[in-house]
Amino acid sequence: MGTENPNRANNLQGPSATPFAAPRANMPISSSHPMVGSQTSAFRPTSVPAMPNASPFSSPGPTAGSGTPGFRPMQPGRATPSYGPPTTGPPQRVPAPQFSSTSQPTPSQTSHVGQPILPPSMRPPPPSYVPSVPMGSPPQSLYNAPSSNNPPRSFVDSPYSASGPNIQPPPSSTRPTYPGYPGMQSNQVNPPPPPPPVYNQGGYAPSQPPMPAPFSSHQGGYGQVPPVAPSSGMYGGGSAPPTGVMSGLAEDFCSLSLGSAPGSFDGGLDAKALPRPLDGDVEPSSFAGMYPMNCDSRYLRLTTSAIPNSQSLVSRWQLPLGAVVCPLAETPEGEEVPVVNFATMGIVRCRRCRTYVNPYVTFTDGGRKWRCNICALLNDVQNDYFAHLDATGKRVDLDQHPELTKGSVEFVAPAEYMVRPPMPPLYFFMIDVSISAVKSGMLEVMAQTIKSCLDNLPGSPRTQIGFITFDSTIHFYNMKSSLTQPQMMVVSDLDDVFVPLPDDLLVNLSESRPVVEAFLDSLPSMFQDNVNVESAFGPALKAAFMVMSQLGGKLLIFQSTLPSLGVGRLKLRGDDLRVYGTDKEHTLRIPEDPFYKQMAADFTKFQVAVNIYAFSDKYTDIASLGTLAKYTGGQVYHYPSFHSTIHKDRLRHELARDLTRETAWEAVMRIRCGKGVRFTSYHGNFMLRSTDLIALPAVDCDKAYAMQFALEETLLTTQIVYFQVALLYTASCGERRIRVHTAAASVVTDLGEMYRQADTGAVVSLLSRLAIEKSLSYKLEDARNAVQLKIVKALKEYRKLYSVQHRVGGRMIYPESLKYLPLYGLSICKSTALRGGYADAQLDERCAAGFTMMALPVKKMLKLLYPSLLRVDEYLVKAPTVDDEFDRVCRRLPLAAESLDSRGIYILDDGFRIVVWFGRMLSPDLARNLVEEDSATDFARNQTRRTTSGRVLSTLKFS
Amino acid sequence: MWDTLSWLLFFFILIAIVVIVVYQLICFADLEFDYLNPYDSASRINNVIIPEFITQGVLCVLCLVTGHWMMFILSVPCLLYNMRLYARRQHLVDVTEIFNQLDVAKKQRLFKLGHLISLLFITLFWMIYNALEDDEM
Repeated sequence: MGTENPNRANNLQGPSATPFAAPRANMPISSSHPMVGSQTSAFRPTSVPAMPNASPFSSPGPTAGSGTPGFRPMQPGRATPSYGPPTTGPPQRVPAPQFSSTSQPTPSQTSHVGQPILPPSMRPPPPSYVPSVPMGSPPQSLYNAPSSNNPPRSFVDSPYSASGPNIQPPPSSTRPTYPGYPGMQSNQVNPPPPPPPVYNQGGYAPSQPPMPAPFSSHQGGYGQVPPVAPSSGMYGGGSAPPTGVMSGLAEDFCSLSLGSAPGSFDGGLDAKALPRPLDGDVEPSSFAGMYPMNCDSRYLRLTTSAIPNSQSLVSRWQLPLGAVVCPLAETPEGEEVPVVNFATMGIVRCRRCRTYVNPYVTFTDGGRKWRCNICALLNDVQNDYFAHLDATGKRVDLDQHPELTKGSVEFVAPAEYMVRPPMPPLYFFMIDVSISAVKSGMLEVMAQTIKSCLDNLPGSPRTQIGFITFDSTIHFYNMKSSLTQPQMMVVSDLDDVFVPLPDDLLVNLSESRPVVEAFLDSLPSMFQDNVNVESAFGPALKAAFMVMSQLGGKLLIFQSTLPSLGVGRLKLRGDDLRVYGTDKEHTLRIPEDPFYKQMAADFTKFQVAVNIYAFSDKYTDIASLGTLAKYTGGQVYHYPSFHSTIHKDRLRHELARDLTRETAWEAVMRIRCGKGVRFTSYHGNFMLRSTDLIALPAVDCDKAYAMQFALEETLLTTQIVYFQVALLYTASCGERRIRVHTAAASVVTDLGEMYRQADTGAVVSLLSRLAIEKSLSYKLEDARNAVQLKIVKALKEYRKLYSVQHRVGGRMIYPESLKYLPLYGLSICKSTALRGGYADAQLDERCAAGFTMMALPVKKMLKLLYPSLLRVDEYLVKAPTVDDEFDRVCRRLPLAAESLDSRGIYILDDGFRIVVWFGRMLSPDLARNLVEEDSATDFARNQTRRTTSGRVLSTLKFS
Repeated sequence: MWDTLSWLLFFFILIAIVVIVVYQLICFADLEFDYLNPYDSASRINNVIIPEFITQGVLCVLCLVTGHWMMFILSVPCLLYNMRLYARRQHLVDVTEIFNQLDVAKKQRLFKLGHLISLLFITLFWMIYNALEDDEM
């Protein structure tokens, strides 16, 4: 930015500063701008009148306006809220940029309104924008003009207008024709894949549903994500009159102007202009597009599918360079990972780098040798594996070898991949039965849930199960199959814990099923009169460790008080307001007692994964307890102030999923990559066993791991870099397997290409993990600033690529692929783990959220960061018809205050809970029908949160 | 005569500390090249850290007691640093985070080693110097 003239610099501040600095202000998410109201349409009518003189321009305006500099001035006039033209906004605008670009070459900028001057490219560019400059109120025209003022004209010009029937040739195709910007061409050649939807509005009629009026399309913009035209992005809100030509910009980047326009009453931006991920996560198509044999992006996502070829390029790409791996991601029906059994042959691997055979290896020498794609070593093909090559150099038996055609395969591992016989799935429960656990109803819900899941535990009939309960003493249960009732043994010596019975504490579920069920049935009643408030957590943990260390498995801990007895007892160090903002702030978020880290390390060593369920309404030091889950590949579930009437469903759902989802046991994971690239750091819930070997006592589909890589050499000479993730694990069925995901990415020399192929989801996932890690050793403020700084730097770097050629003025420009990055950046800063300070989130909730986010796969992470908001009252009022109608009626709304109408009911779903929001003016009938009580009294009792504009009913269930 | 003996004592104490620090560095290197797992490596390193700190403390006290002010001032920064680590409970290597701490920990020990070796040379010089002086008398 620095290079630009002062004028611009000023404008810039707006863009860069606002989005990021604003986190607290909420801007993007809940834009406070009143103007727009819930419906955009509302304000339009008013604007229309103002337009009369403007109209001539206006018609072109919508389209052209945004792009051309001249146009910008108009913006001020726009409806007051007129923040920069919405990027997402009106479809009409979208086309504009392209327009402008084309038109610009023509000298005729001054040409009048409406006249369609056709640039060589034959687009009807309305040069008219330019004229618009003088106009005071043109902005409105953007919206209205086309339809209301001179409909016919708009139609004619329609290429821009959303009305879309007339199809414009896609900008990309036309573009080459312009002689004007040779320089650009190269970059533009491949427009980012995502844009297509965008174009719809402007150019491509086909995909877009025909919208009669520009308005409507406009509104639609909200509902449909795509409206944000990637290419079109240029809305000139900025006052700076960039004199430069905008041509060619369309495919290169989107832009957004955030500064207030001169003459307008209030500065800021149009909330509608902001791109919002209302379609959820969109996976970049370039990953699989260029290399069809890559594994699916649900397993492996790179922050950019274009690997930089030099150190200098890496340093200019300001975002993290890395990958997010979810090795066991859930597969849709019919796309299961094929299992390959080499039987006696042994798994085919490279001799030197130990890479597994994959679709990218090449066979030579008539099929007798194969070249490793990662280290380029020529390996001999074993006799059993030999096959002739056909004329194209491919093996003739290719179709019988999924490992040579698919990016994801599972090999059945022979005995040399085992250090011991495969372990059975093992679930061990460590349950707090002190008074708070009993009173909250946790014990009952938990016992019922476990009982209902017994049939579905994976790995039957080998599954093993066991229980310990504890308060100030530790209770063991003998579940031997010959008994009818479990025998309870109490150990009260907390300083020197011993296991009273070496066997029979862990029993085979199918053999001891009646005993286990009898235990679960009697568990709530056994302790219902317990008044013990102490918790011998540490000693119980040691006991559990002694029981489990033979086999490993999964340890589920249900804890509802602060550990108060024996080793590992924790202090009420609490959430001290005075500590916030000082250098000691982070110590609240790290474990207090080294006991927990040591235990976690020991658990990992013996293949035990720990999942923590915490229920207390008071401080329980999740920061310390969560450490157990963090280093053992587990997970933390936190139910603040658990009460069975409210949180029952959520606990049931989460516990059932935890128990029944497919789980991989005693696993290790390694990611290999080609020469010149090296993985340097790993982020997630696991422990490193050696520099690049991740130890995972238990893995499942809800866990993902992030890693960053760096270039080892200053210059990469290869054209392609390969990545191979290998997860060696014991399946629940008792088979040892290796799941291998292979992917290729091309090496590029151009920074623009890196941005074009960036993957917002992976970047966000990695950034949030880095931020959370940072919050463990620095202040929250620092962690948030680091995220913002990274994004600002990246956008600044991106701007440098184009500002010189295009004089983009006061607008913020960003690559299509990263258009949601600023928004997600804000979401990260506002996430429970990182937001605000002392008052904004309880320490326990903050820590629990941090542990959760460190483990989430990309899609769930994005949903947590930007939850979906649906308005459901219209759907509820209508008679229920077909099932699929729900999707049609209820579209995701932007998370802005203006999307909330006080007459509606809304559902907010972040993947972990659902918040139902009842508007203040909601018809009483509807409310009564829903809650079966008079709304006023009911809400008064049940509401857990209150907002200024409505009431929120609390957590309903886990989705 | 006493002077020479005290220098000799310092010399051996310094050698002991150097050996401990080098041992830690070797453990880190083994860990890095995967000859040692993090559990063993961390416990080996942690076992020698307290002895190292104590020896360092003894050295400082001896310098003070024998009146070698210069030597005391030179070795006291290291002692203070050790005490600071200890007070913050950062002196031990953390098994779970050992790979993330590897670079910092290695650098820290290399600096320490450099410092110790320079002390060692100073000691050696004074020891020989004193021995020669004793001879002349």
